[in-house]
Amino acid sequence: MTQNILDIAVLICFLCMLIAMLLAFVRLVRGPSMYDRIAAIDFIASITMGFILIYSIVIKKSMYVDIAIIISLISFIGTVAISTYLKLNIKKDE
Amino acid sequence: MNEIIISIFIVIGALWILIAAIGLMRFKDIYSRIHATTKATSFGLLLTIIGVTIYFATFTVALKLSLIIIFIYLTSPLAAHSIAKSYKNDRDSKKLL
Amino acid sequence: MRIITKIYLAISFLMYYLVKLIQANVYIAYDILTPKMHTNPGFVWIPLRVTSDIGILLLSNLLSMTPGTLTVDIRPDKSELLVHCLYNVSDGKVVDEIEEMQDKIITLTS
Repeated sequence: MTQNILDIAVLICFLCMLIAMLLAFVRLVRGPSMYDRIAAIDFIASITMGFILIYSIVIKKSMYVDIAIIISLISFIGTVAISTYLKLNIKKDE
Repeated sequence: MNEIIISIFIVIGALWILIAAIGLMRFKDIYSRIHATTKATSFGLLLTIIGVTIYFATFTVALKLSLIIIFIYLTSPLAAHSIAKSYKNDRDSKKLL
Repeated sequence: MRIITKIYLAISFLMYYLVKLIQANVYIAYDILTPKMHTNPGFVWIPLRVTSDIGILLLSNLLSMTPGTLTVDIRPDKSELLVHCLYNVSDGKVVDEIEEMQDKIITLTS
């Protein structure tokens, strides 16, 4: 019975995160400016981290936690790099 | 009993990530969108990480997950500040032209 | 004796941070889920009294995580901070709250 509750909770989590990822993709495609797209990419990286953390519960292996560390490092560096690149580009145009 | 606590934590965390996605769709201003993604996503990941820590309940996993929490809470405001500042610079330069 | 006061101040600051975090998330969830948005966005320049670098880092981090404020820019000589607010920019409520945070950070890092 108790194992059953955890299975249902994991299913609800996957459903919520899938809907969230769909909405983020809509914003990524539709976004009026470049900066909306950067925010959406940052958000998608966070959702991927949540996915992997919950998947580590499903598969019962704590090894998957390391992947979440790497994703958090890379998404931060990517976001800062893209926004700094855009800022430098604007200054060059003037 | 333990499973019920884990289920509550991870379900509320996933719901908070969904709330952040709805906010990303609904707000009209880019600064408000950054508000929604920064705060709500970090909080949802915090709750999910607490649930995973209770599930595994070993020392090394708790250490790794607390490292993730500290890293998220240090870098997520920095990323938001970076996006907002580059957007502000863009708008200012367009106003000047 | 000084170390004990330092630890006490750090723990009370952490508690304050956690309370503000939960408050911010409840506010923003209420704002997103209700059909009618009652946001009123705007900018405000905040004069800084915190001078050290780590104090400014703590203040901007706390501001980005508290209800309805987001750090956007800083003057090059570190005298003022540009803050984006979601709610009631016109009255001085936001400014009072930020002054309280600055007091806490000055007592922590001094």
